[in-house]
Amino acid sequence: MQIDDQLLTRLETLSMIRIDERKREEIIEELSEFLNFADNLKELDTSGVDDKFAMDDAPTSLREDIPSCNTEISESILKNAPQSDEDFFIVPKIIE
Amino acid sequence: MFETIIGLEVHVQLNTKTKLFCSCPTSFNHRQNTNTCPTCLALPGALPVLNEEVLHKSIQFGTAIEATINQVSYFDRKSYFYPDSPSAYQITQLYTPVVEHGKLRIDLEDGSHKIVRINRAHIEADAGKSIHDGEISKVDLNRAGTPLLEIVSEPDMRNAEEAVQYLKKLHSIVRYIDISDANMQEGSFRVDVNVSIRPKGDEKLYTRVEIKNINSFRFIQKAIEVEVSRQIEAWEDGTYDEEIIQETRLYDANRNETRSMRGKEEAADYRYFPEPDLKKAVITNEMLKTYSQIPELPDQKAKRFVEEFGINEYNASVITSTKETAKFFEDMMEEGISAKNAVTWLTVELPARFSGGMDITTSPVDAKKLATLVKRIEDKTISGKAAKEVLDYIMQNDEDIDTVIEKLGLKQVSDTGAIEAMVDEILSKNQDKVEEYKNGKEKLFGFFVGQVMKASKGSANPQAVNEILKQKLS
Ligand SMILES: [Zn+2]
Repeated sequence: MQIDDQLLTRLETLSMIRIDERKREEIIEELSEFLNFADNLKELDTSGVDDKFAMDDAPTSLREDIPSCNTEISESILKNAPQSDEDFFIVPKIIE
Repeated sequence: MFETIIGLEVHVQLNTKTKLFCSCPTSFNHRQNTNTCPTCLALPGALPVLNEEVLHKSIQFGTAIEATINQVSYFDRKSYFYPDSPSAYQITQLYTPVVEHGKLRIDLEDGSHKIVRINRAHIEADAGKSIHDGEISKVDLNRAGTPLLEIVSEPDMRNAEEAVQYLKKLHSIVRYIDISDANMQEGSFRVDVNVSIRPKGDEKLYTRVEIKNINSFRFIQKAIEVEVSRQIEAWEDGTYDEEIIQETRLYDANRNETRSMRGKEEAADYRYFPEPDLKKAVITNEMLKTYSQIPELPDQKAKRFVEEFGINEYNASVITSTKETAKFFEDMMEEGISAKNAVTWLTVELPARFSGGMDITTSPVDAKKLATLVKRIEDKTISGKAAKEVLDYIMQNDEDIDTVIEKLGLKQVSDTGAIEAMVDEILSKNQDKVEEYKNGKEKLFGFFVGQVMKASKGSANPQAVNEILKQKLS
């Protein structure tokens, strides 16, 4: 799969980021490289393998339903947010 | 003629103590951004750990709708970018949900029933909340990561009534088995409706329109009706292909219309893939056995009420529609009164006196009190009419039934001696009428009853008055 300018524009929309005009060429090249690398996997014959196959077949571990909360952590996260006010995270206007 | 096709997706917020993948509390009304941690804020390196109670509640639900419970299910990642979802994806179950192929029996107004198939119920994480304020939006992530069970029906409903009955039954079940508060106003029972139409007899499914987030049964009914009219009009005008597109619409209750949420569609591409941070969720045989224990369901309870108390099916379904009403009825029956009277006073007289958003859970008169009142009618202490006055009074004043009866002077006179004396007095005062009666003017009997009741200020037991009058006049 190749990345072209149109697909990059689509990815920009989906991830809500703007890619600088001067960097587009470079990013297209890089993303294409990633995809080509992943294509190596296609060399493996996986026809007999269950699509739910996992390296670790153990079940996911479960947690008891007991609440615990460390407000120090949530406070410090808020403090480190780019913008916050009255304990809300402040973001640019969301258009519904 | 057209046929309406309706499918429903309901997001039920599970009432666990902690979130789906972290130990943050799920409680409502806490100060914004206090119930958060690195996991539900999606900080790098934090990993999700599944809450066992979520599997428990999912199994209970699966059992209630007689569904297949997948003892191995998987989580998938749904990518989308929105500020109230810090991870920029939602963990859900697309390919192998925990619950599949269930069914729900709905009760229709004409007394018939219908089975609605449930395609699946899967576990997923809720997003946070945002408040829009001028040029900015404020984000509160307390709700982010709260467990949801998304329940998806097959497109089996054919009109708004069926859709509402399905939702009411579903609502009732999740509350009976206590897996959710299911409060529509607070958003713990959120409904999305998929609606399409087709000419009757056609087997094909046409374009479906999704109406999102409608927060009352009444508005759901109206939203479906108004959307169906829009689609039929477009069909008849020959503009169906242009106007009816697969999209999400919002219901505007003030204008009673649905409106397009333009713009969202183009960007939708969720790029689902297996969630790499979680292994498969396994339900052991032991868990399955323990967690499929559920309390009596509304239909079972209704059936039992019919058999045990001899009430009719309609009344039984009204009483069992919420577990609170069913409990109230059962508590009343504990007092040893007749089921027929209990039904009337519980479903007619009591609700008629509710005001200002009051309901059975906030009723100032509890089951024991209401049953005592009924008992006083049954043991002939007061008449049915007087009982209504007592109820009016105790709705306002928290006082003992017998004290109120005394206080309002409503005690019925069943003492035959006292009634006889009153009857004798009335008859001697109206000897001309007694003559007329004896000469065949039998209509006058009602007049005598009325006079005696009046003389007793309504306190005489009408049955006793009747009997004594009959004796004396014969
Ligand atoms: Zn958390």
